[in-house]
Amino acid sequence: MSDLDRQIEQLKKCEPLKESEVKALCLKAMEILVEESNVQRVDAPVTICGDIHGQFYDMKELFKVGGDCPKTNYLFLGDFVDRGFYSVETFLLLLALKVRYPDRITLIRGNHESRQITQVYGFYDECLRKYGSVNVWRYCTDIFDYLSLSALIENKIFSVHGGLSPAISTLDQIRTIDRKQEVPHDGAMCDLLWSDPEDIVDGWGLSPRGAGFLFGGSVVTSFNHTNNIDYICRAHQLVMEGYKWMFNNQIVTVWSAPNYCYRCGNVAAILELDENLNKQFRVFDAAPQESRGAPAKKPAPDYFL
Amino acid sequence: MEVEIDEKDLKLAGAELLTDGRRGLRIHGWEIESRKGSILNSSAREQWEKDLQTSHLPEMIFGESRLVLKHVGSGAKIHFNAFDALAGWKQEGLPPVEVPAAAKWKFRCKPSQQVILDYDYTFTTPYCGSEMVELDADKHGSGGSSGIHWEDCKEQIDVAALALKEPILFYDEVVLYEDELADNGVSLLTVKVRVMPSSWFLLLRFWLRVDGVLMRLRDTRVHCVFNESANPVILRERCWREGTFQALSAKGYPTDSASYSDPSIISKRLPVIMNQTQKLRVPGIL
Repeated sequence: MSDLDRQIEQLKKCEPLKESEVKALCLKAMEILVEESNVQRVDAPVTICGDIHGQFYDMKELFKVGGDCPKTNYLFLGDFVDRGFYSVETFLLLLALKVRYPDRITLIRGNHESRQITQVYGFYDECLRKYGSVNVWRYCTDIFDYLSLSALIENKIFSVHGGLSPAISTLDQIRTIDRKQEVPHDGAMCDLLWSDPEDIVDGWGLSPRGAGFLFGGSVVTSFNHTNNIDYICRAHQLVMEGYKWMFNNQIVTVWSAPNYCYRCGNVAAILELDENLNKQFRVFDAAPQESRGAPAKKPAPDYFL
Repeated sequence: MEVEIDEKDLKLAGAELLTDGRRGLRIHGWEIESRKGSILNSSAREQWEKDLQTSHLPEMIFGESRLVLKHVGSGAKIHFNAFDALAGWKQEGLPPVEVPAAAKWKFRCKPSQQVILDYDYTFTTPYCGSEMVELDADKHGSGGSSGIHWEDCKEQIDVAALALKEPILFYDEVVLYEDELADNGVSLLTVKVRVMPSSWFLLLRFWLRVDGVLMRLRDTRVHCVFNESANPVILRERCWREGTFQALSAKGYPTDSASYSDPSIISKRLPVIMNQTQKLRVPGIL
């Protein structure tokens, strides 16, 4: 058994790698990811997965439902880390699979694959806690910069973490972005990872936060028409039912973190496409409590004042 | 601190746990119950949007979750739920808070026909609980608000008594709603309760952090000391705190968001902007 196969077996048991192993794995991953396009071509059949957020044991449920990699070809739409308890193991397992089977798993970047966001929402603290230093966080966030921004399945289905950008009307415009950087606060790359479809606007909307685009049905229609695609598949927003179509089946949100944050009670979904691009959503529940190392559900009484 | 709930303590205090899978207990004429459910599904959300006349709601609404404290003798009922809290948000209707990146976005070339949404995405609510008199349906017909209300008072919640480490007979924490502000911070409404042999105490907390901009803490504490008379004394203290990251920085405090993940640790750094103590009046009884 090669070192890599052994590491994959270890990670599947939710045991993190040694710091030196993480460093070596990230170097190998970098060599593969640097060759990928900003619009990475993906062949069908493929299974598309949305946000995971460090919910390692729920990702194992996902693999139970969808089948193991490399037997199943996977596309993950980002947000591997933060919020859940096992961001380190989750991301490293996906990365190890990427290095082992580069043509059977595609990882694209979510807005949480960022230095700034991971310092606030958990991954940074988790690395520090599990390794006693921030080196592993550094190796991983350096890899984040190499992750592709989007994928195109059989030239027909465009996949991205967040959504569209007013600065982008063609896929070629995405191809020209220099992605090897921290996610910027504005511009096309930021929008692809952050924006959301919104029912109540038709064209473009600006979030009440003063930053962040919202896009309506007509924007999607025109993008799909211009680029000759059937629909857009994206993640980024929690959907109680695991997936949600909008704008007459022109865009679908896929969410793959069941019982999000260990308390929402939502189901998760993955989207399976066969060789003819026929769709099947597979809906799944969170891993049973006893099979995960998560803290007990019952809150510990405290003498709050 | 972790505390085990002891059967013997329950018995000594004359309390009994609720049965049939309900969470809570009966003690000194009170029935205290918490309920926790999943977040609203898409169709329930749509209904809430209609009922609240809004097209935006927090990402995670625990619509079935609640905390109910009922004084069986008087029918007075204090309860906490997401719907009433969001009705409060809708009514207060604060203007939106701009995130730091907004300044830069103003210089971006704007797409044509851009709509700027302007609802309060922080879901800030003045909610401090709901109350009603629920009369026994057989004897008195249906319940209603029937004049139950809170009045300003001079008394204060007895913090010293609450600091005593009496056994906790019942404890729970119920999340009512939560929003991640699209990864720009957190908006969270929760209610915690603890019941001891001598009193019950609860904390309803609205906690908001808009990363790099401001923090808002709106606490409601309610305390009821058990006595054997038919007139329970219920005190409520509301305390609102608010501060900007800029003001914290001027005082020499850190301004990274990670330092402000637990409001109970940093609350003292935020200036008090409102403080009020009230007593519950139930007409005809108190």
